[in-house]
Amino acid sequence: MTPNLEADSPQSPRYRVALFATCLADLFRPSVAFASIQLLEEAGCEVIVPEAQTCCGQPAYNTGDYEATIPLARSVVAMLEPFEYVVIPSGSCAGMIGTHYPRLLEGQWRQRAQDLAAKTYELTAFLDEVAGLKRDEPSNSGETVTYHDSCAGLRELNIRQQPRDLLQRLCDITVSEMDQTEVCCGFGGTFCAKMPDISAKMADDKLANASQTGAAVLAGGDLGCLLNLAGRARREGADIEIRHIAEILAGETTPALGKPQD
Amino acid sequence: MTDARTDVIARVRHGSRGQSAETVATELARIARGPAAKMPSDDPCVAFLAAIVGNQGTIAVARNRTETVKAVADYLYQRYRSHKLVAGSDPRLAALPWRDAGLLPRFGGAENGEPAALSYAQLGIAETGSIITLTGKSNPAANNLLVEDHIVIVHTNDLVVTLDEAWDRINGMIADKRPRGINMISGPSSTADIAMQLVMGAHGPRRWHVVLAGEVPADALAQARQLNGLD
Amino acid sequence: MQVSSNQFVEQASEALQQPHAVQTRDILGAFLPPVRDNAAAQFGDFQALRDHVEAVRKHALENLDHYLAQYEEQARDNGNAVHFARSGDELNNIVLDIVRRHDARQIAKGKSMITEETGLNAVLESAGLTVTETDLGEYIIQQAGEKPSHIVGPALHKSPDEIRELFLEKHNFGPRELEDAPAMVEEARRVLREHFLAADIGIIGANALIAENGYSMLVTNEGNGDLCANLPPVLIVCTSVDRILPRAQDAMAMLRLLVRSTTGQPVTCYTSFYSGPRRQDDPDGPVETHVILLDNGRSDILASDYSDMLQCIRCGACLNHCPVYISAGGHAYGSVYPGPMGSVLTPLLSSLEDANALPNACTSCGRCAEVCPANIPLPDLLRDLRHEEVTRGLSPGRWRFGLKTHAWLARHPGLYRWLTGLAVSLMHRLGRKRGGLAKLPMASGWTSQRDFPTPEAGTFMQQYRQMQDAADD
Repeated sequence: MTPNLEADSPQSPRYRVALFATCLADLFRPSVAFASIQLLEEAGCEVIVPEAQTCCGQPAYNTGDYEATIPLARSVVAMLEPFEYVVIPSGSCAGMIGTHYPRLLEGQWRQRAQDLAAKTYELTAFLDEVAGLKRDEPSNSGETVTYHDSCAGLRELNIRQQPRDLLQRLCDITVSEMDQTEVCCGFGGTFCAKMPDISAKMADDKLANASQTGAAVLAGGDLGCLLNLAGRARREGADIEIRHIAEILAGETTPALGKPQD
Repeated sequence: MTDARTDVIARVRHGSRGQSAETVATELARIARGPAAKMPSDDPCVAFLAAIVGNQGTIAVARNRTETVKAVADYLYQRYRSHKLVAGSDPRLAALPWRDAGLLPRFGGAENGEPAALSYAQLGIAETGSIITLTGKSNPAANNLLVEDHIVIVHTNDLVVTLDEAWDRINGMIADKRPRGINMISGPSSTADIAMQLVMGAHGPRRWHVVLAGEVPADALAQARQLNGLD
Repeated sequence: MQVSSNQFVEQASEALQQPHAVQTRDILGAFLPPVRDNAAAQFGDFQALRDHVEAVRKHALENLDHYLAQYEEQARDNGNAVHFARSGDELNNIVLDIVRRHDARQIAKGKSMITEETGLNAVLESAGLTVTETDLGEYIIQQAGEKPSHIVGPALHKSPDEIRELFLEKHNFGPRELEDAPAMVEEARRVLREHFLAADIGIIGANALIAENGYSMLVTNEGNGDLCANLPPVLIVCTSVDRILPRAQDAMAMLRLLVRSTTGQPVTCYTSFYSGPRRQDDPDGPVETHVILLDNGRSDILASDYSDMLQCIRCGACLNHCPVYISAGGHAYGSVYPGPMGSVLTPLLSSLEDANALPNACTSCGRCAEVCPANIPLPDLLRDLRHEEVTRGLSPGRWRFGLKTHAWLARHPGLYRWLTGLAVSLMHRLGRKRGGLAKLPMASGWTSQRDFPTPEAGTFMQQYRQMQDAADD
């Protein structure tokens, strides 16, 4: 799916939005970033993709290397602060910028980080609460979907209802809720590699809960979680399709995570 | 080498703010009372009785002194077909019209494993369904702990609503003389240590029966049971 | 404090290989959170209660010098011998001293995490004493020779069958069924009643110490603490300096939080306050009472950036809600304090060198902080401990170097794009037909348990750049 870069906007856009794609989408799932652009444009946004973006710095930060993170955080603040809105297809990255940067940075950087935090949004929160995205005709793929609430998005940013409302409103999909949606999937950044056995158990529990709903698709808003679950599902031969919510909302047809691409 | 007391006090001081007693008192006074639990009824009697049932206790109501002793006798007789009862040397218990119920407790401390003991509560607390006893001749520890059935009489004059009010009253009671122990009892002895299965009678009494005496609304008992989904 | 915490990963892996134990833990993890949620909802404005108690605790800890002095004075006036112990060993020796002075043989103990921390039982038993744990969970693990797996329910890892086998082995009552929990509790009641009656010394802990009147508060559902506090002629209360609260009403506020967060009850069956020895006209009670105030690192914590951790009321809610604890089980932590609170407290009470694995046993999911009644920012404290590991060189060099390099690279977009573009393109070529890669260099931590979903041919930024360039032409 390619965003429409050539056509003129019929009227001036309602919002000028910088997309921070996230390092995981950039490297391992570009379709999420493209789907995000498509959705934002559908919502009447002009989308800019700042060229210097790489990573928000969570990996070093969560492992406790504050000193290595600070210079990167400052450069991200400087890169994003000129924009009116910053939208990110990840609860953990939006949470990093929105709640942790202001704590991590000091002096004049703290104020700048707070100002940036005030205009940084996770994708579904922006589409639902700021842009109020609607469709005349909901696209209905007929898929049954269950939803995993990623920890950072849930607890730092209160992302819970927004993805469900968007699925309902835009795609006529009612989420089949699984047990323990709010329990961690076992990704946890470097945790999943440092403590693989525990992480695998948590992923297995999540996949079991998902499959019990009978849903064909397990959706979520964070690629860390989804790569973890898709990787485990493939290793264990679990059947369920795993996608980022942006892909579903945008009608992405790229094969689901972990499925053959040709 | 300094002694432990000096060391610990010095180390604690190092980690504290070192404020004067007056400043500390002023700060503390500025922290208002915290919230009490929501209660299922505005009527303290109903809330009290309902909480006791919720904590696996049983309840009875008495509107005068004769009804009180009869409630105790009824409970004993139903449970044991006998009137064997020990009670603390509490003048309020001694003064009850036991003849009206055809029963006379032995006053003193319970023997190990004795069937039933009777206490007169200093206070009842509606918020939690608890009663307060103070150690002493009126409440030998054995009576609270070593018997199979513990029966408690609470008078509505001694019923307060919240835990905070309870301590306001207790502070008054202990101002001149501090009892060795203040026991707040809220149910029979229980445990869930074996696979989280709730079992009564772990070490202390297996059963706990509270007789609320005095100005009790007519339907308080029924309401309390209904609030627990009984009847 | 003795710990085997740096073997956490291995110990957790072992624990995950026992299907029955895994199932038991899963049931705990599914059952206990709704119980707590329900109790919090029934209370009303539970958040207001948490905030209130937090304000009281912060005030009490910031002014601990004042309240410690007040408590000590009141407790002495009440007739207690008040002792101070800098370390676990000192506490153990103080107890040993009292025990020897009384020529004691048998000790009845209520549940006390402080005495677990100091390893008191082993010291007393070496000195020839018979120590009986009277809390049913503690009694069970004492008989089984095991350590507690949970700070509130120490034997919750054991199945009814295992407990049945244990009782049949350890109690000489002849052939009997012990078919269910009530039967086992009944038997324990019989056995332990004798110990209460025969004990020379009772040892209990304290959930709170009240500065204004010198009373200590003890909560149990079983009543075993009260039996230890009332029957034996000598009572020793083993507690710590951070337990001190200014007023009785503060203890009540804390009680409201504690029981709901621990078992979901509004209050414990027995909530008792003890001031000291038998009064002149008391018919019963210990004739001699002692209070031992343990420091063992708490004053250091008080003066540090981790002082919030002293607000912990030992409710266990964080354990019940932690998916890592539920998966790995309490024993994996190698400490008397497991789970999220244990992962902060254990390195602080022993050393970060001896327990550096524990702050890493965390996905930062934040569920612990959500339910902590004391409003302790556990995920932040855990991350700060990880930070300390980095600055003190205690985290594995490979990880530190790799993440530093990544963070540096991320500030150099040109180089970053080039390197990541290469890696992604290679991964795509290797894995595109199969959808995933089962092996990846330098990523064995990931691939030991998972495949890696195959990326697209180019990164997003590369593809976007190409489209922009095409559009511009």
